[in-house]
Amino acid sequence: MENTVEIEHLTVSFASKRRTSLFRKGARVKALDDVSLTIKPRETFGLTGETGSGKSTLAKVLVGLYKPTSGTVKFLGRTVDFKKKGDVSYLRENVGLVMQDPVRSLNPRLTVNEIISEALVASRTFPKKKYDERIAFISHLVGVTPDLLPRNPRELSGGQRQRVSLARALVVPKKLLVLDEPTSALDVSIQAQVLNTLKKLKSELDMSYLFITHDINVIKYVSHRLGVLFYGRLVESGDVHEIATEPKHPYTRKLISNVLTLKRTQLQETAISEHRPAPTGCRYRLVCESAFDRCSEVPDMADLGSAHLVSCFLYGGKPSS
Amino acid sequence: MAAVASGETRPRTLQEAQGDARGALLSVSNLSIDFVSVEGRVRILYDVSMHASEGEIVGIVGESGSGKTTLGLAILGLLDSPPTDIVSGSVVFEGKDLLRLGSDEMAKIRGTGINMVFQEPLDSLNPVYRVESQIAESIEVQGRRRFSNSANAADRDSKKIMTDLLRDLCIDKPDEVLEQYPHELSGGMRQRVAISMSIIERPKLLIVDEPTTGLDAYVQNRILGMLSDLRKAGGTLLYVTHDLTVASQVCDRLYIMYAGRIMESGETQSVLEDSLHPYTRTLIASVPQGYEDSPPLPIQLGEPPNPRKLPDGCKFHPRCPYVKDVCMKEAPRLVEVVPGRYAACWKVAGEDGKYSRD
Repeated sequence: MENTVEIEHLTVSFASKRRTSLFRKGARVKALDDVSLTIKPRETFGLTGETGSGKSTLAKVLVGLYKPTSGTVKFLGRTVDFKKKGDVSYLRENVGLVMQDPVRSLNPRLTVNEIISEALVASRTFPKKKYDERIAFISHLVGVTPDLLPRNPRELSGGQRQRVSLARALVVPKKLLVLDEPTSALDVSIQAQVLNTLKKLKSELDMSYLFITHDINVIKYVSHRLGVLFYGRLVESGDVHEIATEPKHPYTRKLISNVLTLKRTQLQETAISEHRPAPTGCRYRLVCESAFDRCSEVPDMADLGSAHLVSCFLYGGKPSS
Repeated sequence: MAAVASGETRPRTLQEAQGDARGALLSVSNLSIDFVSVEGRVRILYDVSMHASEGEIVGIVGESGSGKTTLGLAILGLLDSPPTDIVSGSVVFEGKDLLRLGSDEMAKIRGTGINMVFQEPLDSLNPVYRVESQIAESIEVQGRRRFSNSANAADRDSKKIMTDLLRDLCIDKPDEVLEQYPHELSGGMRQRVAISMSIIERPKLLIVDEPTTGLDAYVQNRILGMLSDLRKAGGTLLYVTHDLTVASQVCDRLYIMYAGRIMESGETQSVLEDSLHPYTRTLIASVPQGYEDSPPLPIQLGEPPNPRKLPDGCKFHPRCPYVKDVCMKEAPRLVEVVPGRYAACWKVAGEDGKYSRD
């Protein structure tokens, strides 16, 4: 079966606002740098990384909000040309998005019913007669009870709002759902309920998830495969069991070893406070404990077998061109 | 663990067991606070009692709306009245009831007596001053109080104090940070600056309200490690958080709050491993464990109640898997179920004083 998403050598760069002169544009900053990944049908791909690592940039490329500077995005076998309006709407028809902030991502002046049906109107393909039936079906599935439909978003709790976001994203059937930190703004017991719903949904609707979060406990629990971003570069990707039990890249090792559970652990003593990315070569080398002279070049993704990829010279990475 | 009492002896209530709290640095007793607005009165803290002894790290754990932040603000005397109204109770710190102190006396306690790190560092830092002048202000306040009689000249060298402290908080280039404005710093940096401002005054009691929310895991753990170290220096900490995994790392004792009430309390280890209250179990079950093929998290649907429309009886009963008739009618009192362990639940502290545990 063909992959839902194939991203190859994706780079997204922005002009920095910090100008050195009034007459010169700011330097280009790469939010994503040479990222390649695939998402298979019915798979949950977890993407993690710290603030500013480019997680959300990738999410926005997949719904056509940002255009790639270079590289290709293939969706269900079709290469998306971001300059063509038709291709971007093709992407939006098939990809749903749930954002982190359930307050700001819902129109405060519409009722829940209007918010959800807006997505149906926008799709243009859905017969009007079937709106109510579809809304009832999807609301039931994501746990939006009928009494919420006539209300305004501000009357809802955080968990309810996030369920409305889910219903809006899925009311037109999608092949991929991009979840950008969908539970980080929620209370823990509400997060658990939403995670349960998300897992149940995926088995009922035939689709893939791109699940973005900084919470390793959550990402382990929901994903089949995992990708780790560090300042725009994918440093490791592969099966979630493998990465969680045997992380390879020094950065992934650090992330995994800092995961807290309910058991008291010796808190890690890290010598360096902030992760500054290196301007050239391997971005992690300034803070990496194992850095050596080769790291002044950029390592490519070396395959350690069973599609476990690591971008590090310690594991046979070669300088990428 | 054996039950402390058999059928005959009535369990001690938390108030009766306040003997534990005697000699504590901070002891809050029967604190009830209302929020008054045009729509009427709403009780946001209901008969809350807790204490913290010197050198202890005490966790206040609850979800949004549970009243945990209100409790912190009440201790520090930062609740405006109106709209809040302290209905009953006392907050005794070093033998003084803070609720009866005048604003001048309270101002003396804030800073060097009790200090607080607020949740959102961007809101608690002044955007138009450089970091240096903000921390310097804290030192100046402390200097006026503490160094007026001290001949320790080195301590007066505020710049050195600041750079040393920031370096302790793992900021590599403290000199650069001191020159910056809050908006130029990352979230982790800002939080550390806010913490440095609070601990530079060496308070006897430090209240921290969700200091690591939104921070990356390794920065969070670094801050947690540093806060635990404060205890070694004799500091007492009140750690307010919604995150049980974080609380389990640093706290000696926990108070679990729900709908403005304390539902369970006890030593961290025993609260986590042998939880008495179903709400505590819900919180524990909410921590995702395992992988994609694991079963769903064992948790019932439901949300914390709206404080304006609280259910009758036990406030947790609509979400409780063990709900009985009595739970819907009458609220259980917080009683000592086993020594040092309190719970407000009909299931563990039965109506007839008999304990039933599964």
